[in-house]
Amino acid sequence: MIDTMADPMIVFDRIEKTYNMGAEIIRALDGVTFSVEAGEFIAIIGPSGSGKSTLMNVVGCLDTPSGGAYRLAGESVENLSRDQLAEVRNTRIGFVFQTFNLLPRLTAIENVEVPLVYAGVSRRERRKRAVAMLERVGLADRGKHRPAELSGGQRQRVAIARALSLDPAVLLADEPTGALDTATGHDIMQLFHTLHRDGSTIVLVTHDPDLAEQADRIIRILDGRITDDRKCAAKEAFA
Amino acid sequence: MTRQALLENTRMSIRSILSVPVRSILTGLGVMIGVGAVITLVALGNGAQKQVEAGLEALGANLLIVYSGEPRGTALVRTNTSNIRPTLTETDIEMIRALPPDLVRLVAPASTANAQLKYENRNIAATVIGTTVEYPDVRNFYPIYGEFFTEVDVESRRAVVVLGAQTYRDLFVAGQDPIGERVRINGIAFRVVGVMEEKGSTAQDSSVLIPISTFQRSVSGSSNYAMVNIQAASSDVMRELQAILERELLRLHRMPSIEAADFYIANQLDLLSTVQGVAGTFTMLLASIAAISLVVGGIGIMNIMLVSVTERTREIGVRMALGARGRDIMAQFLTEAVILSVGGGVIGVALGLGASWAAVEFLRTAAVATASSVGTAFGFSVVIGLFFGGYPAWRASRLDPIEALRYE
Ligand SMILES: Nc1ncnc2c1ncn2[C@@H]1O[C@H](COP(=O)(O)OP(=O)(O)OP(=O)(O)O)[C@@H](O)[C@H]1O
Ligand SMILES: [Mg+2]
Repeated sequence: MIDTMADPMIVFDRIEKTYNMGAEIIRALDGVTFSVEAGEFIAIIGPSGSGKSTLMNVVGCLDTPSGGAYRLAGESVENLSRDQLAEVRNTRIGFVFQTFNLLPRLTAIENVEVPLVYAGVSRRERRKRAVAMLERVGLADRGKHRPAELSGGQRQRVAIARALSLDPAVLLADEPTGALDTATGHDIMQLFHTLHRDGSTIVLVTHDPDLAEQADRIIRILDGRITDDRKCAAKEAFA
Repeated sequence: MTRQALLENTRMSIRSILSVPVRSILTGLGVMIGVGAVITLVALGNGAQKQVEAGLEALGANLLIVYSGEPRGTALVRTNTSNIRPTLTETDIEMIRALPPDLVRLVAPASTANAQLKYENRNIAATVIGTTVEYPDVRNFYPIYGEFFTEVDVESRRAVVVLGAQTYRDLFVAGQDPIGERVRINGIAFRVVGVMEEKGSTAQDSSVLIPISTFQRSVSGSSNYAMVNIQAASSDVMRELQAILERELLRLHRMPSIEAADFYIANQLDLLSTVQGVAGTFTMLLASIAAISLVVGGIGIMNIMLVSVTERTREIGVRMALGARGRDIMAQFLTEAVILSVGGGVIGVALGLGASWAAVEFLRTAAVATASSVGTAFGFSVVIGLFFGGYPAWRASRLDPIEALRYE
């Protein structure tokens, strides 16, 4: 057993991600080193094309780094097989996308059930947990709706419920409010705060400095490098 | 894969199949037609075989025929042996009759000749068969009207005749009672005692039957026989009986080998297996042609599944991001392909059975749909789903999660 209490949740050690585009080599991540403690709420900011999404995808085990070492909850992920990575994504990571990425033919409840299906949870248990999750994000009455019948904010809530369905170690959100208007974006942020208060570790990418200020810590990225990593003073206001 | 996952996959697949109903029907259509064609064509092939077999059995059960002369093809039955010099003697017949009853049940020697028949002002050519009273039983050929001639008729060389069904129609007015009428055969008057049933074979229907004794005296003038019809005690002893007949007849005829003999023996079993062989080949040929359409149907499924995998790349990416392993994705698409294929197969089975039934009902052809052809065709549709769905499913399972997610 790995003593997860002693280890930080995420440890990035000189992580690199390069894309070989024929003539030029793009360094999307150029030696990124940082760590995230359990229960932290981190905001990642930086201009477009700076490597934020690339970073999130590596953290979420969707993408494999070209170099460096990555430990998730004390466990090295470099040498994991495809199936093991799938299991990590399934049980350890909750991913929230800018464009929601709900499955359009499934209802809200069924969307939330998808990770539970791959985790082999029985049908009845799945239904129970999905309903509970939707309740937690404030969508108890929309369970039977399909994504097309929901507003943008509601869709993102379903996506968050889905990300939380297996109680992941880390919740990753890549511009979760990017496709929403300001007011709805604030609602979603409130939801993240609630989750954070309940103990979730959250990494959030955003373009909005106001939203970033609400986190515990802000990491700024430029051209694949961390240029700034500071604690956030204003967070008390939202605690 | 657990039962739980299989169930979930099936539900998911049925859903995505139903979400594009027209496309799904068109996709399954190839297999549908293929399976339908296999079942129908095999049914027709089987039907043809059964018909020929039934025809052969109608000749008489466990039939062996010894003919004078040299072998001619595979024909078991040569009703007309008129231009063959009869070589089978009374001694031969006695030898055969003396064989034990667990080998031989009935013996009916016969000779034939072409003759002119005349009744009133009607004049026709027909085959006259001289034979014994065992003939109806041996050849499974019975009078439908009146009676066959009797033992007494044979012993007393009476001039009595039983008409073939066609001969009766040619000589008499429809509905006219021929019994007791006098028909002239080569100028000699014969009294009609019966009319044979319709056999569907021209040779038998257009013949007339008279006692062998009368035949030998009045028609041929020879005391030999052109052929001997023998009913074996059972089909199990037919080969043994044939061997014994061959040996004994060679001895009596003082001949060295069957190849050089002046007689030959036709065996119903041999003919049956020849016919079955030919019909089997024919059925296989039909089945292979139909199987090609099954394969084409499979390619159709593969094509659509490849399109579907491409279209749903993003969905695959999302599922992988949520924890689907390669084999989960593989199972999902495989299940979908198999359901399409099996769905097509089920409808194809219904179509095939319907078509076979229609062939019997409306076209009056013989069609026998067998459980094995239904089972095979259905099994094939499962295999085709797995085989042709396999490659697209494998491609889907090998997608890179992040690239699949980025796919527009
Ligand atoms: N698959 C790829 N192939 C080549 N280059 C890529 C690929 N993915 C990302 N990049 C490059 O890597 C760099 C970082 O991209 P990334 O998507 O991480 O930026 P980002 O910070 O998320 O930007 P945005 O704020 O617009 O979402 C960019 O220069 C991008 O062009
Ligand atoms: Mg981005």
